[in-house]
Amino acid sequence: MEEVDKILIHALKQVGTEVSEEIDSVRQFSSELIVEAVVRCIRVIDPGLGSTLPTSLPPGMSARFRVGMSLAQACQDIGYKGEIGYQTFLYSNEPEIRSLLMCLVEKLPRESAETSDQPTGKSVVLQRAIAAAIKAQLAVPWLPTNCRLPLHGETQSPAALHNFHVQPLSLPNCSKGPGKKQLKELNDYQRDILPPVTAQPSHHASVVASILEQHTAELSAAQEWDNEWNSQGLLSRLTPQEYQSRKLTRLRKRIEEQLRSAALPSPESAFGGPRSTSDLGELLQAFRASAPSDHILTKGTHFTHTQKFTFTQESAAVTNSIPSRLQSEGDSQQRQQEELASLQQQLQQLCSDVNQLTADMKHMSVTNTQVLDELKQREMGNSEKEEKMQVKKKTIDLLPDADNNLLKLQALVEASAKRVVNLASQWEKHRAPLIDEHRRLKEICSNRDLESSRKLSEIKSLHDKIRVSTEEARKKEEMYKQLVTELENLPQDVSRSAYTQRILEIVSNIKKQKEEITKILSDTKELQKEINSLTGKLDRTFAVTDELIFKDAKKDESVRKSYKYLAALHENCNQLIQTIEDTGTILREIRDLEEQIETENGNKTVANLERILDDYKAIRQENSALAAKVREG
Amino acid sequence: MVVLLSKLPVADSVKLCHRVVDGLCGRQPPCRGDYSATWSLEEWLELLSSLTALFRLAVGNNSSDEEVLAGLSGVGSGGHADTVLSVLRAREEEIRRALLDRTNSISTATLQDFDWQLKLALSSDKISSLHTPLLSLSLDVREDGALRPVTMEMNRDELNTLINSLEAANKVMLQLK
Repeated sequence: MEEVDKILIHALKQVGTEVSEEIDSVRQFSSELIVEAVVRCIRVIDPGLGSTLPTSLPPGMSARFRVGMSLAQACQDIGYKGEIGYQTFLYSNEPEIRSLLMCLVEKLPRESAETSDQPTGKSVVLQRAIAAAIKAQLAVPWLPTNCRLPLHGETQSPAALHNFHVQPLSLPNCSKGPGKKQLKELNDYQRDILPPVTAQPSHHASVVASILEQHTAELSAAQEWDNEWNSQGLLSRLTPQEYQSRKLTRLRKRIEEQLRSAALPSPESAFGGPRSTSDLGELLQAFRASAPSDHILTKGTHFTHTQKFTFTQESAAVTNSIPSRLQSEGDSQQRQQEELASLQQQLQQLCSDVNQLTADMKHMSVTNTQVLDELKQREMGNSEKEEKMQVKKKTIDLLPDADNNLLKLQALVEASAKRVVNLASQWEKHRAPLIDEHRRLKEICSNRDLESSRKLSEIKSLHDKIRVSTEEARKKEEMYKQLVTELENLPQDVSRSAYTQRILEIVSNIKKQKEEITKILSDTKELQKEINSLTGKLDRTFAVTDELIFKDAKKDESVRKSYKYLAALHENCNQLIQTIEDTGTILREIRDLEEQIETENGNKTVANLERILDDYKAIRQENSALAAKVREG
Repeated sequence: MVVLLSKLPVADSVKLCHRVVDGLCGRQPPCRGDYSATWSLEEWLELLSSLTALFRLAVGNNSSDEEVLAGLSGVGSGGHADTVLSVLRAREEEIRRALLDRTNSISTATLQDFDWQLKLALSSDKISSLHTPLLSLSLDVREDGALRPVTMEMNRDELNTLINSLEAANKVMLQLK
């Protein structure tokens, strides 16, 4: 029973009952403790039902009675089948209380049953941890800054929060493999000068942010490439390098087209010049030539560039003239002003010149293209006309000797027709095998195509399989990890293994006892059998003896005497057996009665009776006091 | 000019060059305080800008060793030219990546960093119990070389709208590829 009581007390403590350390069995429970334990259990099982019940007994006797009644009713509502009433709580006896508490503890909702239904996974564990942390933080009351302890500093002071600032990091990349040999200079740098990654960012706070950012960038790049390769790259039947280079050229072409189309409509800008370039590199070279390299990349027009150019030139001129200016400081102010004015004038003039010139250039270029087109058309017309003229000239030459020439022409035509037929037959001869060959090759080609596509699909399915199995493995690993963490998080105060060991012991004990019981039963049966056979034998022997002696008794006097003795012996033996049996039954009855006495003693009947009497007296006193009050009133 | 580098011993100049490259790649540039005894402010600025330009041009044009050394011909004795060259070769990949980044962020305003915080509004001036999650998103936008913080606060619907529009933009980007 002690094990059971320990489990019960542990469960009650978890529910929220305050059981003091000295109490380690149900026998020591007082009425107040029983009421508190039962009410707390009911509150957990059925909050609606339990919220109306008080956790402690009131001082008044009649109120106590009412509380006991309502508690008994609640227990029956929850589903307790045993006998229960107010007396169970007020005048407790151990076995009843134990069975009631066991029933209630069994009905407590199990947490493990809930958790096992939820979906598993690493993210779920993380989310649960986050939720728990947030809940704990929400439970902490907000305090003004002055009252904060260092314990609250982590969550409530804004000083601990840093902004997410990222700085590029330089990491030695070891995973490049042996194919790419590392430069000696790079090795030296990484060994001697490169600071550790925690010292690279200028603020210590951005170390974590930078590392996270770098990691995410690399990871997402790798994933994107993987996706693309699996979806498109595999189908293109190229090696990864070829695929990449093809993609690069395609992109280059696109950019070049975009740039050219953007540059063409505005020929006055500096980028309009290189129209005939055929390569992106050349185009970019052209850009570079026209736009001097700046610190900040700006998209400038030709105008801004020329302006900048003139300005720098002028500033150079100014710096050159510094020594001469030092000589005459008196009128330097005035001269500066004059110079400034003249320079500005010059600038304006130059600007307007440039504008005019660009407009002229535009105009000229347009007219130039027009003129070029016209020229081309004219040239084409010219050549056509020349051809026509030559044909006409020949016919005119042939006209004088018309008949002869006609015959000659006919002969020529016939000969050429014959030749054409001849060539056609020859061509047919050559063509047939070639066509056959072509067909054959085509067939082989299509066969190979089929095979390669089949292999491709195989590869794809293999890839899918690999992905699926890796995912499965990952899932299982996650589940394993989650289960391990859950196991670690489980309350350790109840030693599970001790319980299971105890249960196993009990089971083996029960088995042993069962064996013994069966042994005893078989023994009893054997004994019964023996007794039966012995009584039968006895009966038969007695009957035979009785008959024999009865026959002789008629003749002999002494034999008659012996017959009488025999009858008396038989009767006495019967009586003896009867007495022994009677003793057995009486002994059994005695044992039963003793047990009953023990249980009655366990029920604390006397003490309870005394308490009942006391309570009865208290109720009578209360009643009489009330009656007196009524009379007074 | 790069000639100024010869005022420093070779070992120190290696460090300085690496710090210059660090600055070029977006990390902490070298500190003038460490070298104030060697160069005046004007010289310091000139040296920095010329070194940076040298590294940039050399990587951008894929210059060979000879070309770089020709550019460094003025530096002359003491092996300074070789140090600069070795630094250049060691950090070539990093510089190239930094230049590519610079080219990528060619538009007038580019996103430098972003950060978010999730807040739970418990109540407002009109409603005593609100319990609405709010996301405050802060973007660091680089505009003409200067950082400009942009901060906004969104509820769930607004956040969904933002995410949808960003996804649409991403789709357009993918089509360009």
